[in-house]
Amino acid sequence: MKSPTRSSGPYTTNRKPLSRRSLLRGAGVALSLPLLNIMRAPFSSAAKAGMKPTRMLAICNNLGLLPEHFFPQDDGFDYQLSPYLELLSKHRNDFTVFSGVSHPDVDGGHPADNCFLTAAPHPASGRFKNTISLDQLMAEQIGHQTRFPSFTLGVNVQEGVRSLSWTESGVMIPCDQSAAELFTRMFIQGTAQETKQQVRKLELGQSILDTVAGQAKSLSQNLGKGDKQRLDQYFNSVRQLEKRIEASKAWESQPKPKVNLPVPLDPESPGDYMEKVRLMYEISRLAFQTDSTRVITLMLDSVNSPAIEVEGRAVSDGYHNLSHHGRSEDKLRQLEVIDKWHMKLLAELFGGLKAFNEDDDTLLDRTMVLYGSNLGNAHAHTCLNLPTIFAGGGFKHGQHLTFDTTRNYPLPNLFVSMLQQMNIATDKFASSTGTMRGLQTI
Amino acid sequence: MNTYYPHFRIVFLSLACCFPALQTTAQEPSATVIKLIDQHCAGCHNANTKEGNLDLQTLVKQPVSQNALEIWVKIHDRVQAGEMPPPEQPKIGDSESNSLLNAIGKAIIEAERQMLVDSGRAINRRLNRYEYENAIRDLLSLPYLEIRQSLPEDPISHGFNKSGEALDVSHVQLSRYLRTAENALREAIIRQTGLPKPIRQRFYSWDQLKFTRGNGPNIRKTYPVLGYEIQTALNVRPAEKSGSFIRPLPGRHSIPSRRDEEAVVMVSSTYEHVEIQYDQFRAPSSGRYRLKFAGYTVWMSADYTELTSGRRTEPITIYADSPPRKLRRLGHFDFHPKTSVQELEVWLKAGETIRPDASRLVRSRPPQFQNPLLEEDGMPGVAYQWLEVEGPIHEDWPPPGHQLLFGSLKTTESNSEEYQKFIAEDYPNYERGTSSTEPNPLDILDGIYNAHNRPPARGHVSVESTEPIVDAERLLRNFMTQAHRRPVSDNDLQRFLTLIHESLANGHSFTESMLAGYTAVLGSPEFLYHHARPGVLDAHALAERLSFFLWNSPPDETLRSLAVSGLLLNSDILSQQVDRMLDDPKSRRFVNAFLDYWLDLRNMTASDPDSELYPEYQLDDALVESMSEETQLYFQELIRGDLSIRHVVDSDFIIINERLATLYEIEDVLGAGFRPVELDDSSPRGGLMTQASVLKVTANGTTSSPVTRGAWVMERLLGIHVPPPPPSVQAIESDIRGASTIREQLALHRSHQSCNVCHSQIDPAGFALENFDVMGAWRDQYRTTSEGNGVLVSGIGHNGFINRYRLGPSVNASGTLPDGQGFKDILDLKQILLTKEHLLARNMVNQLMVFATGAPNRFSDREKLEAIIENSKPRHYGVRTLIREVVKSSLFLNK
Repeated sequence: MKSPTRSSGPYTTNRKPLSRRSLLRGAGVALSLPLLNIMRAPFSSAAKAGMKPTRMLAICNNLGLLPEHFFPQDDGFDYQLSPYLELLSKHRNDFTVFSGVSHPDVDGGHPADNCFLTAAPHPASGRFKNTISLDQLMAEQIGHQTRFPSFTLGVNVQEGVRSLSWTESGVMIPCDQSAAELFTRMFIQGTAQETKQQVRKLELGQSILDTVAGQAKSLSQNLGKGDKQRLDQYFNSVRQLEKRIEASKAWESQPKPKVNLPVPLDPESPGDYMEKVRLMYEISRLAFQTDSTRVITLMLDSVNSPAIEVEGRAVSDGYHNLSHHGRSEDKLRQLEVIDKWHMKLLAELFGGLKAFNEDDDTLLDRTMVLYGSNLGNAHAHTCLNLPTIFAGGGFKHGQHLTFDTTRNYPLPNLFVSMLQQMNIATDKFASSTGTMRGLQTI
Repeated sequence: MNTYYPHFRIVFLSLACCFPALQTTAQEPSATVIKLIDQHCAGCHNANTKEGNLDLQTLVKQPVSQNALEIWVKIHDRVQAGEMPPPEQPKIGDSESNSLLNAIGKAIIEAERQMLVDSGRAINRRLNRYEYENAIRDLLSLPYLEIRQSLPEDPISHGFNKSGEALDVSHVQLSRYLRTAENALREAIIRQTGLPKPIRQRFYSWDQLKFTRGNGPNIRKTYPVLGYEIQTALNVRPAEKSGSFIRPLPGRHSIPSRRDEEAVVMVSSTYEHVEIQYDQFRAPSSGRYRLKFAGYTVWMSADYTELTSGRRTEPITIYADSPPRKLRRLGHFDFHPKTSVQELEVWLKAGETIRPDASRLVRSRPPQFQNPLLEEDGMPGVAYQWLEVEGPIHEDWPPPGHQLLFGSLKTTESNSEEYQKFIAEDYPNYERGTSSTEPNPLDILDGIYNAHNRPPARGHVSVESTEPIVDAERLLRNFMTQAHRRPVSDNDLQRFLTLIHESLANGHSFTESMLAGYTAVLGSPEFLYHHARPGVLDAHALAERLSFFLWNSPPDETLRSLAVSGLLLNSDILSQQVDRMLDDPKSRRFVNAFLDYWLDLRNMTASDPDSELYPEYQLDDALVESMSEETQLYFQELIRGDLSIRHVVDSDFIIINERLATLYEIEDVLGAGFRPVELDDSSPRGGLMTQASVLKVTANGTTSSPVTRGAWVMERLLGIHVPPPPPSVQAIESDIRGASTIREQLALHRSHQSCNVCHSQIDPAGFALENFDVMGAWRDQYRTTSEGNGVLVSGIGHNGFINRYRLGPSVNASGTLPDGQGFKDILDLKQILLTKEHLLARNMVNQLMVFATGAPNRFSDREKLEAIIENSKPRHYGVRTLIREVVKSSLFLNK
């Protein structure tokens, strides 16, 4: 079986330089993948407006990490890396680690993973209803700036049961779990039929907006100032929405970016968990590099994963069962191996994002990476003291931010900071009480 | 002299202007005003000293503009109340004062008149999300649709989500309207052409996977039983396979002659991860179903080996459950020691299954848990026998919602060849199954959010038309007539018809084209906004306002036809309609929406009781659900019986169920059902203030503050405006370690005169409520964390957690009202407040009028508001009378 130590995956961009390949668009600008930053510019409306794009990748490993090896002992900028974080030492100044944070009133153990990006309270309770997730809120505002408003990815996800992305009505957005399919959607030109179908749908949306705008216009005649102002606001909202559809339509006529890479092969066995994780990291990086989307969520459904393979051999027990280690030394040792692999892959992800430059920044400088879990301690099913790493995205990193471990600090505050970093005007997300204390932008 | 609208003695902070642009309309203060102000006020309030940040010298030279209106109203009220000039200054003579007040009043009224001449008292507004949900439910005859949460939260102005100034739209709002409408429309379309064959089937608990899975410790087990015999043999699990156990296979373990004795016993409530479900049943299609549940209560021995008859009833809540864990509360009933069959008639969505929950039993949370209900000889439990399902029950086929959209046109099922061909052609790369019963939320508008490039996963039928142009017009006209609240103009019909024609011409199917047209109608300003013209409301606008007042919904058929005929403008008919509407079950929508804002009931779940201090409330869904319901039923009763406004403060009855009776320490109330219960004189309950819902929304889960609660009572019940705390002052927080009480901290705070000015007015009512904890239970002592030094109390929570807290300082609930009247506790305070009938009535009228018209109550409205109160006096300000009088008022009848 493939081992995650060797880069046996189809993307080997860290090691093999990619060959240049021309990519035609519009007047025929020829570009290559390592120079995608140049190519990206005319595609992106943010770039046109002279604004730096900010991206997000949010990852939830729903079995968490062994807290005793994860959390550093001391705090501040001079903190000592913990055994797990030691594996990220190369990127020490590119991430912040939090302790004493959690989502207020999000309890209930495993079902809380669906609330990782929504912070909706009491996921196991009778009155539970999920709410919009962070990524979908972002996509609503900036999604039209890229070909795909957002990606919802997963590894070993139990279909129809888990996802990090939720619509405003609390409907789950299912995870895409095939790297091959995502690759195809991003880089392989669709059939004319598909494009036509998509354009037709967009045009229908436009017609709907035209129709309601026409009515607003005729209604607003002969109205008093106050009443008219209300309808004008409606009319402007229609125009705003139309612009977004227009942007979406423009994407349909743009050729997709080309990359000189084969379509990846999806590992078949759920036991190839780590390889799948790596593939999803690679796909995410490629998506950002080509500015195909700026918002990605990734659910690592460890709960639904069987005995997985690491370092070429299968661990003895199902991942979920291992997490209920009951302090068994053997189980703890195996969990530690798994956790460390998570850290190594994360280090690779950070490295990959840093290796690529966009204007004067690295891709990581413009990508907020959130890695965490709904469980602080999987053995006890507790949803407090969540292990949380936050990297990149133009924040000042390199510190261990500590909060009260008995009365946790609200993690949704980080979400508010992230939204603001994306220039989305808001001061509230779910149960937030402000922005993330102690976290500063560069 | 009576204060009309009481205000506090507060410093004038800079007043924010609440109107968009300064109008040119203005009224110069008269010479009288200038003279008297110069004489009596400008000594302090001048350009140099600006006492209270108010410079009357300058103000008086300017017209009474919109910007200054609020200040002028304040000046008027302070002088009227005799608060100004202050006691240490020379008094203003009565006749001088009267002419000053008259002159100021006139100027304000004239300024307001000019300001409102353009658009009237209330600016036309869009529907808020409650109203939008109701409108869609009614239109499509789908009462179970949950739409509200899909829309952004509505801004609040003057206490409610009804104000034209505040109800903005944005592109996000608009796109959500369109998506929500499209979803709802698709939900209304049938999924199969023929009438779904109703099933009548019994589902035995023994046969359910979710009844017999995921066990472990005894508390969390499900026990297969025959009568009272635990079938231990079935419950053996191989040692090496921890975490699972053998399910009694249907047929193998069941003894046919004893089938009806089969049951599954639980001593815990349904919660992750013991989530029992009748999973072998999934509603085959959306519709009404009759559900019958058989079961009984049991007593389980402490060693979990013996079962005997139950010692009491157990309340059972029933939820509809769909993946991944979407729960809808369907209803509740009780199981008794003797086996019984309980019936519920409910709406189910296709794919939903049924989850029962014995809500009183423990919900265990790891790592260690115990049963709070455990007694020396055992613990209570529930035996679930079976669920019998009958349905779907359709009176018409296709159902009314589908008929509204497509009449009786021929339909083709989505699993038909044509449909598969459509999927194959339009989505060639799509390989996933379309088995999901979850409607795909994104289709027509997918392009805007093409994150989810998926084919329509829903399985609704496609509709065929041999004469699409003719059918489209016929169907659309009918749809618009139902959806709009005014007659449909030909222009408008044409507008939407053009959209449908274009869509057809572009190759979209008849179904999709019609849906595009309908979606547009439901997202159009005609549907989303109120459309009244300044002046007296016409019959349509009146029907609209009346209906969104008393039903929080659009007008029904009766109101619409009364609007068309104009008869609604007749005052007798209008009165009859008010009574009809209040007697209609739909008035509950008004009650719930009104209370959600007036009393903040929408914030019921905003905070949770602290797990250390309040273990008994943990994960107690039944408690929280009961709290809101009590207040809603109580207010409904005030309307039904036209009970006096005094009932806001106190009453000799309450409407509760067992869970609340336990909280209120009232005996002999058993079961989940609500009923009126008489109170004896010594009971602190009765009225709104002492209802658990109110006590919960005014606390934060960990502590309660007399400031918050006091301000809330003043503002919401008495209608006295409470200024917000000055930004520079740090909030007073209770010390849960027990070092000092909040009262001691407040005393310190109030020793500063500038703080005391407001706090002496705000706090008293809050003090009286100190006897109630964060969930509304009576307390004589505060609780503190285990760091305190009081008596240690150990408790086991409803979540099975073992917790320790300490009893802290004793509660002192006495206080003195600003007018000097002292009280020693809540009973005393209620007696004092009961004398303030007029104030209570005025507040209720003000709240109702804002809710009904969406406009704030202005200075120039005062006389008319006062007339409503006066007219209601003979009926002791009965709540129903107040509502009737509000509708009769010209404030209501004019835009």
